[in-house]
Amino acid sequence: MNLGYQCMSFDVLFNQFMSGIARASLLFLVASGLSLTFGVLRVLNFAHGSLYMLGAFVTYTIWKTLLIPVVGFYVATFLGALVMGGVGIIIEFFLLRRLYARGWPEQLLATYAIVLIITDIVKWGWGGEFLSIPRPKPFTGAVLLFGFPFPSYNFFIILLGLTVVIFLWWLIYKTRFGDIIRAAAHDREMVSALGIPIPWLFTWIFVLGSLIAGLSGAVTAPFGSIALGMDVEIIVECFAVVVIGGMGSLPGTLLGSLIVGQVYAFGIMFKPELALAFIFMVMAAVLIVRPWGIFGRPER
Amino acid sequence: MKRIAVLITIVFVLSLLVVPLVMAQGKPAPAKEPAKAPAKAAAKPVLSKEPIKIGAIYDFAGPCYMYSETGMLGLRIAVEEINAKGGILGRKIDVVVRDTEAKVDVAVREVKDLLLREKVNFLIGPCSSGTGLAMQVVHSEYKTIRISAIANTEGQTVDKFSPYFFQVVPNTYMEATAATRYLNKKVPAAKKFCTINPDYEFGRREAAAFAEEIKRLVPDAEILYEAWPKFGEKDYTAFITAIMAKKPDAVHSSLFGGDLVAFTKQAAPYGFFEKTPFIALYDLPVLIALGPDAPEGTFAFARGDFFQDPNPKMMAFVDKFKKARGTYPDGWAVMNYDAVYLLKAGIEKAKTIETEAVVKALEGLSIDSLRGTFSIRPLDHMGSVPCYQGTIAKDPAYPFKIWKDITRVPGEQVLRPEASVREIWKKTGVVR
Repeated sequence: MNLGYQCMSFDVLFNQFMSGIARASLLFLVASGLSLTFGVLRVLNFAHGSLYMLGAFVTYTIWKTLLIPVVGFYVATFLGALVMGGVGIIIEFFLLRRLYARGWPEQLLATYAIVLIITDIVKWGWGGEFLSIPRPKPFTGAVLLFGFPFPSYNFFIILLGLTVVIFLWWLIYKTRFGDIIRAAAHDREMVSALGIPIPWLFTWIFVLGSLIAGLSGAVTAPFGSIALGMDVEIIVECFAVVVIGGMGSLPGTLLGSLIVGQVYAFGIMFKPELALAFIFMVMAAVLIVRPWGIFGRPER
Repeated sequence: MKRIAVLITIVFVLSLLVVPLVMAQGKPAPAKEPAKAPAKAAAKPVLSKEPIKIGAIYDFAGPCYMYSETGMLGLRIAVEEINAKGGILGRKIDVVVRDTEAKVDVAVREVKDLLLREKVNFLIGPCSSGTGLAMQVVHSEYKTIRISAIANTEGQTVDKFSPYFFQVVPNTYMEATAATRYLNKKVPAAKKFCTINPDYEFGRREAAAFAEEIKRLVPDAEILYEAWPKFGEKDYTAFITAIMAKKPDAVHSSLFGGDLVAFTKQAAPYGFFEKTPFIALYDLPVLIALGPDAPEGTFAFARGDFFQDPNPKMMAFVDKFKKARGTYPDGWAVMNYDAVYLLKAGIEKAKTIETEAVVKALEGLSIDSLRGTFSIRPLDHMGSVPCYQGTIAKDPAYPFKIWKDITRVPGEQVLRPEASVREIWKKTGVVR
């Protein structure tokens, strides 16, 4: 194979960089929910990818049923995310709530059970067909960046990623609710002793995580295709993101997504056979040097 | 410390998923010795009325789920037709369905169970080339015939040849060779190519066959860049920009299913399809899923969706399929239908269901299928089934896009030459 990279121009590299940013935004959307639930609830939610998948399918059905012109997709996305929030309440209230005091193995097994249940629900409800929603207006075409087209829907995903970053940052660092969240993440007994109902706080956090999962699933429907198996596909990379960035850390998740997105994009360009391996090499390197992740804090 | 515990637990849970599956494999199926004696006593009159059992083994998971489901429907329609007309040799056909979950170890376990406990007489399946290769070892050991109607790695017929395996789907070599010829015919000036293929058995084989054929057709052809997205990848953005940066004359791909839907939607805003001649597995399910987003003028190959071979037999099948399912039949249903009829023809020629006799009968057997006439090459048991190529286009008769400029390449034109097959056998140790 001829590798003619010597003459690689700025626009080619810039385009690859933008591909990486687009991927990072999608990863951040999914991983932020995973990181949030872990940060506060201390539950490693294996089923986060499944909530993302279910969110995509639910949104598809809402979109297909309503068929509202122009804004149909946005309405469906909003409703789909809400439905997933509701699913979050059910899961937290009936299952997770009973597991906080137990060990990691039980939590992982329980969340893995949810993975299997949701997979079968999707199989039963939607079958194995790959479904797809046309791109919504005004994000159907492309915009020119330095004379090279860049899909405008990718901008939509980047914007949505930014919105979620800002919203979460505001929520966690600027509100009273956020103060309680951070306090609970630090010492839940103390917060509880101050008269704050920890169980309900946890429910809301999990609902928020599920909402974000549903939202990110919904926006992938016009991006590519939705099908069985998309849950496992995303969760593996999300774990890489949160391990690199630091579990439970918002800036860590952001940085982790950017690293994974760029490593993958440039890996594909220079050594396509190893693009995926590069991500996990970075993860392994981070684990060796800083086992708690770049922005994580070592556990006591 | 806790963090290490988390990691250990993740590894633990992942291994939990795998271990029971592997362990279950080794368990012998309960022997049914006592039951044998009365069956023997009742011998001849009863035996001939006993149903012929077909084990249908498919991958009802992930990207293969849909193909397995529609394939099963084609299989069932054929079986119902045959049973309504009195079965084969006066015996009804029973179908036992099993799911591999698209996992190699489950596939091996389920095939063993079909053979030892269900005592099926024949096997049809699966969808994934991975599970197909894995089960080949097992049913060959138990000397039971399997016909593949979807899984098409050349490994099954050539590298790991088994006398108990037959194939009615064009293998990766035939399919990619035919597609490469079509691409070359459409863009004869193209010399610089890129490829993008799913990174597993099937994609690797298709890419290798493309490289082989394009060098034959265009001696100074150059493959600038090979992209290997993982099977099930949903974000192709970085692959698309990397390919376009190379400015190839044409791009060959064996992406299919949801992967191809995702690729197409992500490549369109870049103007990819206007700039680059592209060929991939745009079959009926993909065209339906893409709807208006299917890129007109882009090249396609597939394995016999109804519109690719509108002969009278096919159109009669379309009516039956529409009644059963409410939609048009795709190639996956068509090939499974053909698989059942091939088996029927083989058994009727052999006048018995005894394996060795049916193997002999199938070798060189020619049948009139939904895809026209094809025969089984005695050398490697590969059916000379046709490969189809075309150009995506609108057709007012259908609510989805179909193809124009359709080429039907008879299998005989693209089968791997006997000498080449024997050369590979020398390396892999197949004696025949």
